[in-house]
Amino acid sequence: MRRHSVSSYRFLNTRVLKTESFRLAALFAVLFLGFAAVLFTAVFLIVDDMQTQELLTTIDADLNTVRNGYLKEGVPEAIEVVQQRLGVSDKAPARRPESYVLLQGPNRVKLAGNLPVLQPQTGIVSLPAPSDAGSRVDSKPSTVLGKGEFLDAETYLFVGRDTASVAATRARILNAFAWLTAITIILATLGGVFFSVQFLRRLDAITRTCNGIMQGRFDDRIALRGSGDELDRLSQAINSMLDRIAALLDNLRQTSSDVAHDLRTPLTHLRQRLEDARTNSASVADYSSAVTRAIGDTDEILSIFTALLRISQIEAGTRQATFAPFSLSDLLERLFETYLPVAEDHGDTLRRAIEPNVVIHGDAELLLQLFSNLLENAIHHTPSGTVIAIELKAVDALAVASVGDNGPGVSAAEREKVFRRFYRVVSSRSAPGNGLGLALAAAIAALHRTRIELADNHPGLRASLALTI
Amino acid sequence: MNLLLVEDDLELARSVIGGFRDQHDDIDHAGDGASGLRMASSGAYQVVILDRMLPHMDGLTVVKRMRSLSIMTPVIYLTTMGGIDDRVHGLEAGGDDYLVKPFAFVELLARVRVLARRPAIAQDAATRLRVGAIEMDLVARSAQRGGKALELLPQEFRLLEYLMRNANRVVTRKMLLEKVWDMHFDPHTSVVESHISRLRAKLNEYADTELIQTVRGTGYKLLAPP
Repeated sequence: MRRHSVSSYRFLNTRVLKTESFRLAALFAVLFLGFAAVLFTAVFLIVDDMQTQELLTTIDADLNTVRNGYLKEGVPEAIEVVQQRLGVSDKAPARRPESYVLLQGPNRVKLAGNLPVLQPQTGIVSLPAPSDAGSRVDSKPSTVLGKGEFLDAETYLFVGRDTASVAATRARILNAFAWLTAITIILATLGGVFFSVQFLRRLDAITRTCNGIMQGRFDDRIALRGSGDELDRLSQAINSMLDRIAALLDNLRQTSSDVAHDLRTPLTHLRQRLEDARTNSASVADYSSAVTRAIGDTDEILSIFTALLRISQIEAGTRQATFAPFSLSDLLERLFETYLPVAEDHGDTLRRAIEPNVVIHGDAELLLQLFSNLLENAIHHTPSGTVIAIELKAVDALAVASVGDNGPGVSAAEREKVFRRFYRVVSSRSAPGNGLGLALAAAIAALHRTRIELADNHPGLRASLALTI
Repeated sequence: MNLLLVEDDLELARSVIGGFRDQHDDIDHAGDGASGLRMASSGAYQVVILDRMLPHMDGLTVVKRMRSLSIMTPVIYLTTMGGIDDRVHGLEAGGDDYLVKPFAFVELLARVRVLARRPAIAQDAATRLRVGAIEMDLVARSAQRGGKALELLPQEFRLLEYLMRNANRVVTRKMLLEKVWDMHFDPHTSVVESHISRLRAKLNEYADTELIQTVRGTGYKLLAPP
């Protein structure tokens, strides 16, 4: 328990406080407090001013009353007014008074009022409230705000009001501001910590996945929340990247194992042939024919090697950068013309139904190879007399190109397998080729984000490919 | 011919040099890019045979420097970089042909011969070609032998044009695939053979002298009368 709390404390200390979300929460809290401070200051000043003005207005009214009495009937009337104003009996008031009046004669003689004699001052005067004026023990020292004036050369009048109510309002405003500050800080901290912990938790999930990958668990993926927020999008991007890397890794593994296994066979043959030649050759002619055949073997090995490299290069996907628009119709027309005599020499009939002006975005050189491979398969793996058709049709936003024949076809069970490297349909093992043609074609199709569909042509085989226009 | 070979693989260089000397060609050798560029800058060669990965300066840089010095000697790359884009980059840098190692010497020989014949500045101004009794109008896209029109399909026309431009020189099957059909891969079918036999039949319809000679194990040659 204790360890846990210590560690979570340190967790808070070191990581949560450093997160961007926490920093943002803190920044917003500071901004909000700054704004609130300006607002409160304005309110404070306005309220203070209003209250003071109000006091001064009532003071002026009192002054007028006393002055009017004096102007009408002289000093005794003024004294009368003052005493009335202070609530008749000025003997021991129960409460601390709110208004103060002082009427002072010559030589600082108090004529009436509830203040001790003053050094006469005219205009607005602020002075401490007399301490004996109130009976409340706990009363704070208060201030009297008032105005003084001379009624005549020797008679001085002062009217004032206690400012306790103004001070109380000030205190209330300051108090409210203090509370607001405290609550804001607490909320911002809690919010910041909450969001930061959430953030860190998800970040930790990403880190865990990355560590897993580094430890060889290539199938690990980051769980998504499905909220589509920036972390989700980041996670998705990382997941897609991992998928891509996994595919490349697979490709690499596959290629190296292909090289290891499938080049071994022709290399074995080559070595065998050379050894035979050394043991059994009796004449220069024997040697010469053995060497010729050995060169043939080497060329075959090289062609396998080239095809494998090409497949892995295409699967790496970097060729997409060179995609450009071109007329697929022209390419297939050219292909038709290229293979027409080849098919004839093989005893086959080559036909075409190519929709003109179908332009797609892709790699013309690679697609030429793809369709060549499909055509060559149709020519090689069918008996003489087969009808082979090249077709191209634009269907909505798709260019559907196909090579079909009415030969023996490929069984449904074998249709997927033929795209594997080095896979050869049993019935056609004797035909030329290295078993890589369709694997290469499949790789080129994948580069164009499509796949080669093999279907029954009733009878025969139809290989079709839908490319985005 | 006077050739320059820039190649750091000495065993391969020895074999290539031996091959060309057997053909009575003069061939100089440079073992790295910098000295290759120095020698090529003399402009004394008809063709430069250039490895792409060389010490000190790679082949692409050598070609770019040559071209910037206005040395327009045709360059053929000899390279292990058989990637799909490598050829394009090599040609974009100013090279003229591209041969991936390992290769048959006859293939290199045929390509060098074709390059050597090419003038340093592309001409192609001629609109008519004539080899012996065969005449070709490049603008009207028509051809005739001995005054008799030949009905050629577009690809047969291109094939004949290429053979005529390189008359009396061996052109390999691979060269034809690349130049006539734009096929930079090896089709496992007899594309070249089938078209050659169609073209021969059309050429020989009204004549009986075989003009397209098969060079065993190498390719074809259009014979021009001396």
